[in-house]
Amino acid sequence: MGLAREGDDGAATAVAGDGVRVGIDIGGTFTDIVAARPDGRLHVAKVSSTTRSPDRAVVEGLADLLNQNGISSQDVVEIVHGSTVASNTILQKTGARTGLITTRGFRDVLEIARIRTPEMFDLTWSKPEPLVPRRLRLEVDERIAADGGIVRPLVRDSVISSVERLIEAGMDSLAIVFINSHANPAHEKAAEELVRQRWPELAVSASWRVLPEIKEYERTSTTVVNAYLQPVMRTYLERLQSGLREIGIEAPLLMIASNGGVSSARATAERPVFAVGSGPAAGVAGAARLGVACGYRDLIAFDMGGTTAKAALVDDGQLTLTTEYEFREGISTSSRFIKAGGYMLKVPAIDIAEVGAGGGSIAHVDAGGLLHVGPRSAGAVPGPVCYGLGGDEPTVTDASVAIGYLNPNHLAGGSLKIDRDMALDAISSRIAEPLGIDTIDAAHGIRAVANANMARALRAVSVERGRDPRDFALMVFGGSAALHGVELARMLAIGTVIVPNLPGVFTAVGMLTSDIEHHLVRPFSSPLRTLASDVGKAELDRLRDDALMVLREEGYGPGTATVAISCDLRYRKQALELTVPLAGDGFDDAALDRLRRDFKAAYAQRFGYTPEHEEPDVVNLRAIGVGHRTGRLDFAGTSVEAPSAADHARFRPVSFVRGEPPIDTPVCDRDDIDVIDIPGPLIVETYESTIVVPPGASIRRDDYSNLLITP
Amino acid sequence: MSQSPATDIDPITFAVIKSALDAIVDEMAFSVISTARSEIVKDVMDFSTCICGADGQMLAQAKTIALHLGAVPVAMSHVLQRYGDDLTPGDVIVLNDPYEGGMHLPDLFMFKPIFLGDALEGFAVAICHHTDVGGRVPGSNASDSTEIYQEGLRLPAVKLYERGEQNDMLFRIIEKNVRVPDIVRGDIEAQFAACRVGEREFLKLLQRYGREVSHGYLAALLDYAERLTREQIAKWPDGTYRFTDYIDDDGFSDEPIPIAVAITVHGDGLTVDYEDSSPQVTGALNSTLSYTQSCTYLSVRCVLQADIPNNAGVFRAIDVRAPEGSILNPRLPAACAARALTGYRVVDAMFGALAKIVPDRVPAAGEGGNTVVCIGGYRTDNAPFIIVDMLCGAWGGRFDRDGVDAVTNPSQNMSNTPVEVLEAEHPVRIESYELLPDSCGAGEFRGGLGIAREYRLLASEAGLQLRADRMRFRPYGLSGGSSARAARNLMRPAGTSDVEILASKVTRRIAHGDVIRHEQPGGGGFGDPFERDPQRVLQDVLDEKITPEFAAREHGVVVDVMAGCVDIAATAALREQRRGAPQS
Repeated sequence: MGLAREGDDGAATAVAGDGVRVGIDIGGTFTDIVAARPDGRLHVAKVSSTTRSPDRAVVEGLADLLNQNGISSQDVVEIVHGSTVASNTILQKTGARTGLITTRGFRDVLEIARIRTPEMFDLTWSKPEPLVPRRLRLEVDERIAADGGIVRPLVRDSVISSVERLIEAGMDSLAIVFINSHANPAHEKAAEELVRQRWPELAVSASWRVLPEIKEYERTSTTVVNAYLQPVMRTYLERLQSGLREIGIEAPLLMIASNGGVSSARATAERPVFAVGSGPAAGVAGAARLGVACGYRDLIAFDMGGTTAKAALVDDGQLTLTTEYEFREGISTSSRFIKAGGYMLKVPAIDIAEVGAGGGSIAHVDAGGLLHVGPRSAGAVPGPVCYGLGGDEPTVTDASVAIGYLNPNHLAGGSLKIDRDMALDAISSRIAEPLGIDTIDAAHGIRAVANANMARALRAVSVERGRDPRDFALMVFGGSAALHGVELARMLAIGTVIVPNLPGVFTAVGMLTSDIEHHLVRPFSSPLRTLASDVGKAELDRLRDDALMVLREEGYGPGTATVAISCDLRYRKQALELTVPLAGDGFDDAALDRLRRDFKAAYAQRFGYTPEHEEPDVVNLRAIGVGHRTGRLDFAGTSVEAPSAADHARFRPVSFVRGEPPIDTPVCDRDDIDVIDIPGPLIVETYESTIVVPPGASIRRDDYSNLLITP
Repeated sequence: MSQSPATDIDPITFAVIKSALDAIVDEMAFSVISTARSEIVKDVMDFSTCICGADGQMLAQAKTIALHLGAVPVAMSHVLQRYGDDLTPGDVIVLNDPYEGGMHLPDLFMFKPIFLGDALEGFAVAICHHTDVGGRVPGSNASDSTEIYQEGLRLPAVKLYERGEQNDMLFRIIEKNVRVPDIVRGDIEAQFAACRVGEREFLKLLQRYGREVSHGYLAALLDYAERLTREQIAKWPDGTYRFTDYIDDDGFSDEPIPIAVAITVHGDGLTVDYEDSSPQVTGALNSTLSYTQSCTYLSVRCVLQADIPNNAGVFRAIDVRAPEGSILNPRLPAACAARALTGYRVVDAMFGALAKIVPDRVPAAGEGGNTVVCIGGYRTDNAPFIIVDMLCGAWGGRFDRDGVDAVTNPSQNMSNTPVEVLEAEHPVRIESYELLPDSCGAGEFRGGLGIAREYRLLASEAGLQLRADRMRFRPYGLSGGSSARAARNLMRPAGTSDVEILASKVTRRIAHGDVIRHEQPGGGGFGDPFERDPQRVLQDVLDEKITPEFAAREHGVVVDVMAGCVDIAATAALREQRRGAPQS
């Protein structure tokens, strides 16, 4: 089928039009499918994921959904999907048997890594196993200098003999990383060519294609992850595409990349390392798009699941991107300078802070009397104590049941039984007694500690980036987020909490709202003032033209294509740059002055000073080319048929504030909420989520069926 | 049994404030990384950040250089002594003098008092290792200086900013005295940025909970750390536990330098006495008492089990003594630049003694401290360059698992300078950066492998300093594990293939094309090497981490490399024969 065609530039090929568009979110537990008709009607299916071959759930679920709603498969014009297949492959160590050839003297760069440890004072820590063991890392004779000059020519025989040895050892995917190839890729290209000629079937990832950037460990790690994923991803996408063909769908298959953009299946099969964060990225990207559609351009997207909570900042409708992150087993802390314990990926990704606090996070009291929540999770099995499935350690969900936030008898429209007494018993014996406090107080305590952890993720993407959370609305989605949204908003003095429609399948819906976006980066290291020179202007023009050209190839031109330019700036020799947008079209001195001023202001806001008289350096120029599609989902015009929540009591006692008596609180349906503010206390129960509006807060519906809470 | 952190303290607010402090110091650290200019700070990460209370007690430290933590109290006390009643909002104080609260001259401490209204509430603190602070050699880090006056610019506690006004005179003096003023100034500004961020965020915390309430919780956090520390020490058997480790030499004589510790456990407290350690030495290995204390606290902290907050409460249970005039408490004008090495050996000696108290929590010796490689000189255009590179090592084998290959010493938390960054910034080419097979100590759980890095000078000439150790006194094994292989400094002069073996401490000139190679030791082994699972030995052989000869000699395991398997019969025979043989 040739997914990995040579010379593919990673551009997404998509059709704008009037057909049915499908968004699919493949999660660990559920696969969510949303089909959008041109008239705005949405059809939703939630099916169990088929972990071993994720394509099966997609194909069967989609076939059923189309059937049930009388949609012909020929009417499907596009499929956008997000998947955790790449991240799960790393987590479960099920990738290819990967080999590495590198410059003589540098066999161990991958394993030496960056030397640091993730925690201090912990003498039990061990390094994660490198994805390529030492026996599959071999050296070849060649050397490029830092300035790109050739110190030692490539010895072709050393390439051939190394690869032969690796193939004998069972390698089925090869990474090629030579020192200083970012300065001159000639040797890598030659080695790659040699290998492809001789072993045309072998999967090859060369660092000059994957990440042509300085710093050998980061480049090696990223290239190795790419090689590790490549055969798996290729197989997965080929199967998915042929499965879709079998049910008559010829529409292009797109995938959400870690940066929230979409990319063709072909490009993803070639460079899967760009899709490792596909799962969570899709939700955040969806939140950004919904925000723009509804007039909330400044958001903190907050996604709370069973094990972790994730936060990401959306700034004036734009996703906040990072250029490197570590993929870890377990949890990414919000400390961004650890560099240990994970697999370093230096690829553009949405800057998502993730903490180990979710509905299933387990609470315990340590020997010193300190209450901890997470990062251990009860997961789906055995799950929270209140599910009665064998869990005996109290979780955040148990705490929410205990204080009355969650229905004491059942969830999910009655399909999931809840036993509040079991939750109370567990909290009493394991938390309240050791702390010497009341059980309900302890339940509040569990939630408060979880909230503090989750607030850390919110802080990491706002305060720690120098952004004031008060300037943002909090959009909450995922299983438990609406149980915590108001409290989190209050902790950070956020003024609005948005609960989108269908939070349970929100991520899949969000994919359909996308414009086509292309992020282009061009290194340009020189002092800022040179941007106004002919060289600088030519460089900026070329970047803009490149962006327009990619869009033109996809059918976006005058009126539907726009390009926004920004610059990564920093002071000399610094490690971190700030991205500052270039306002207007001109690159004249006035525009540069504005850019310089904006950078200094951003720098001063964040670090409390600016170096006087120092001219910033440009590191990269960035362009975001957007193709505005006519057929994309507009939240204003959608309508959904969803099952209503099972019958619930009209009132139940809820303990909102620790130490105060419970309040008899009305419980209503989502449909009961109107465009006029209703004051709390109030609980809104739907099939898939519970929304808590405490006293002092109020809730209303907006024109797009979002619920808005004023905390 | 368990109880709340304190009777009048709300456990929930307590937990929230603890997390908030951790977040503040980490945010400060990230500010340093974001704005610093030198490789030693932004790449190697030789810096730390913390918040202290108004009385100078450290409330939280970021996940940075662990060993800085214990030195902060003494530095703070000098600041308070000098400026206790003369602090105003907008002040910033710096110091680096080891005899007035510093550690060695390259480490510049910065303190920013935090005021809420008129009331002093605490200090934001940032410590950075600067690329150069002047003195007789580039990098200001020579181990062969004999007086502090040779080591560079010495700053007692002085105000770098007063009431928000920058002290231009001080900046100008600093800039005149260092070899790379732009870099040094940029890194000082990075410290300033961290202090501003720390101040801003700590004030928000105080305002949120109110002064009085916050004070109660901050005090409780220190008490909590002390209580957790004492609870664990109380479980240790009373008695005195001794251990002596050695530094090879100070570069002036061949005399080994003993670091001898006696830990006395009495109830829930410890007295740590270094009485039998070496007198102060001629070279720059002398460690101030504050640094000796820091190394002592850290060693104890590493073997405590619980997730104890990283604050000054831990120190209260530990009393440290070192005789004045000794290498661990020197008198002026003893030189101190290379004191880090001595600190590492303090940690090694402490671990050796602690292993007798809690044997299942102490690894065999690691590499014994990072090696410092300084190469400095001038390019053809007369622009100065200074490389300050830190080569980290390995962890020793542990009670239930192998040591770690190529990793920071646990008393620091350093990173490495990328080869490509070094080559892009400086006239040097790295010829190799690799693990050293067979460098580990054998054991049921082997030590980690050390690393080697090879530098070829591309400038016409340069000054080289190397501070290494563990050439004679190798990293020890525990519970029957073997010592690791020794360190080596090697030189291959330009145009030859002759290899010259250098001393452990080197200060000399090198010329264009010369190649310098440093080999770190590995970590010591833990447990009887003949008890090691032959399959694990096999995996190490297949990964070429150990040679088949090492497997046979050290582990009594015979590996058939071609077949990729263990020769079980031959292994049994060899182990039998070797067990019967007397130890050689």
